[in-house]
Amino acid sequence: MLYIFSIIVFVCVHGIAVSGLSLLTGYTGIFSIGHAGFMAVGGYAAVVLYKNLGVPFLLAVVLGGFIAVIVSVILGYPALRNKLEGDAFGIVMLGFVTVVRVAISNIKPVLGGAIGITGIPRLSSVWLVILITAIMVYCMRNFIKSDYGKNCMAVQQQESAAEMVGVNPLRTKLRALMISAFYGGVAGGLFVFYATFVSPMSFAEAKSNDLLAAVVLGGMCSLSGPLMAAGILVILPEILRFLAVWRLVFYGLAFILIMLFRPDGLFGYREISFKWVGRLYHKIKAGIGERQKRTGRG
Amino acid sequence: MDGKTALLDIDHMTIAFGGLKAVNDVSIQINKSEFVGLIGPNGAGKTTFFNSITGNVSPTGGGIVFDGHSLTKKRPDQISRLGISRTFQNIRIFPKMSVLDNVTIPMHSAPSYSMWAAMLGLSKVTRQQKETEKRALEFLSDLGLEAYKDREAGTLAYGLQRRLEIARALAASPKLLLLDEPAAGMNNDECNELAELLRRIYKNYDLTVILIEHHIEFVLKLCDRIYVLNLGQLLAEGTPEEIQSNPEVVRAYLGSRRTKQ
Repeated sequence: MLYIFSIIVFVCVHGIAVSGLSLLTGYTGIFSIGHAGFMAVGGYAAVVLYKNLGVPFLLAVVLGGFIAVIVSVILGYPALRNKLEGDAFGIVMLGFVTVVRVAISNIKPVLGGAIGITGIPRLSSVWLVILITAIMVYCMRNFIKSDYGKNCMAVQQQESAAEMVGVNPLRTKLRALMISAFYGGVAGGLFVFYATFVSPMSFAEAKSNDLLAAVVLGGMCSLSGPLMAAGILVILPEILRFLAVWRLVFYGLAFILIMLFRPDGLFGYREISFKWVGRLYHKIKAGIGERQKRTGRG
Repeated sequence: MDGKTALLDIDHMTIAFGGLKAVNDVSIQINKSEFVGLIGPNGAGKTTFFNSITGNVSPTGGGIVFDGHSLTKKRPDQISRLGISRTFQNIRIFPKMSVLDNVTIPMHSAPSYSMWAAMLGLSKVTRQQKETEKRALEFLSDLGLEAYKDREAGTLAYGLQRRLEIARALAASPKLLLLDEPAAGMNNDECNELAELLRRIYKNYDLTVILIEHHIEFVLKLCDRIYVLNLGQLLAEGTPEEIQSNPEVVRAYLGSRRTKQ
């Protein structure tokens, strides 16, 4: 049971981070190869606030998220103001996650250096994590469906035209970056308080790749697609544990296939809809009705 | 023209890209409710001229004053909110968004509610969205695009995409509308239809229009006044009749008509 619970927690934590990244990369079109950096900042900040300053658990996690936001502004404002886009911004983020990892590894006094921090109480219960994930995903969905989200999409699809009809691209991009950093930070905090330890390798470059993979595989301009992909990317390696060595090969293969056949991702520009269930139900009902009529007549 | 009534006053503007002067010491005054044409051979600096008005290119010399505001230090989105809207030479709609969403973007470029309200999905957000959608539908039906409102904009036919761009420009509620070759790639019938449409929206929305176009008949038919640019310099200015009979213009530009038809 504990094993199942831990998988659920990982799926949720990934889900939070991925929904943040989906806003940034999927909707606003800013590539981030280093989103785990925000998870690291949020996670470490939450632990330090809790252990060293005695801040209550949930407040520490939320404050960790806000500290990630502050870091994202320090990083993003100069980069976005100078119109770094696409690959260039991706490289900035790659640099960021590396800097965070190396910095943490070398700060021994509070952060524990390369060994990290151990003995963190397990305060993120499964139900709490599920609840927080549901709330955060719900908020993200509302944001994306609102005019703010539409402005993000406009900036992604045709920045010069968006600018020409009054959308401020810098503010739109920075807002997306800040929100996604907050999501990353909170995800990091929740993760740390479940894993009970944190080390620089908890949120290294590989974690960033997982997040980006979920968004790209799940689809551009979609929230449900990346969320589903995030779940699959956590659960699948567990099921295929005996193929662990081949995990990265599968990743690579999946990427190539998706890019070849579905360049916008599995659910690009669409959401997973359950309307077909209703339609199927009506069809079956109608079918049964017809059969009854026929047998009744016969 | 006296300077007081001019809606757009461009004063000795120069735009240089390195050593190349794309626009060289051009002064233009445009009054409210005028329909002005801007013509000139390829590379005359017409689009650069538009880009400077909308803030995409900053002039290296001279000034632009619109409705009492200097535009030279402003960002494109600020200029848009002052009331200048444009279409592009190469169509720039939002291809993956619905036709309706394309038109609502200018109306909520700066949403009236906060980010937090949006995240919590408060009722005022949906109310606001319903309202903008209703207004957007009015623009769409005015331009005959209502039937396509749910279509993905990128899948529309070329002529309809042009129209959508005009609808989007109108949705930003401009005082001054800049049209960059709206009739490019259209046949005669389509041109006539477009001219009709432009005349109608010009009247209905009480606009001031600057039109860049290569179809000379189109420009002559629509515009009250025409400016001719050549190699970045102002060659002539006048009514359609004056332009047609100006020997310099005929030599630089209209002379090529001989080969047509």
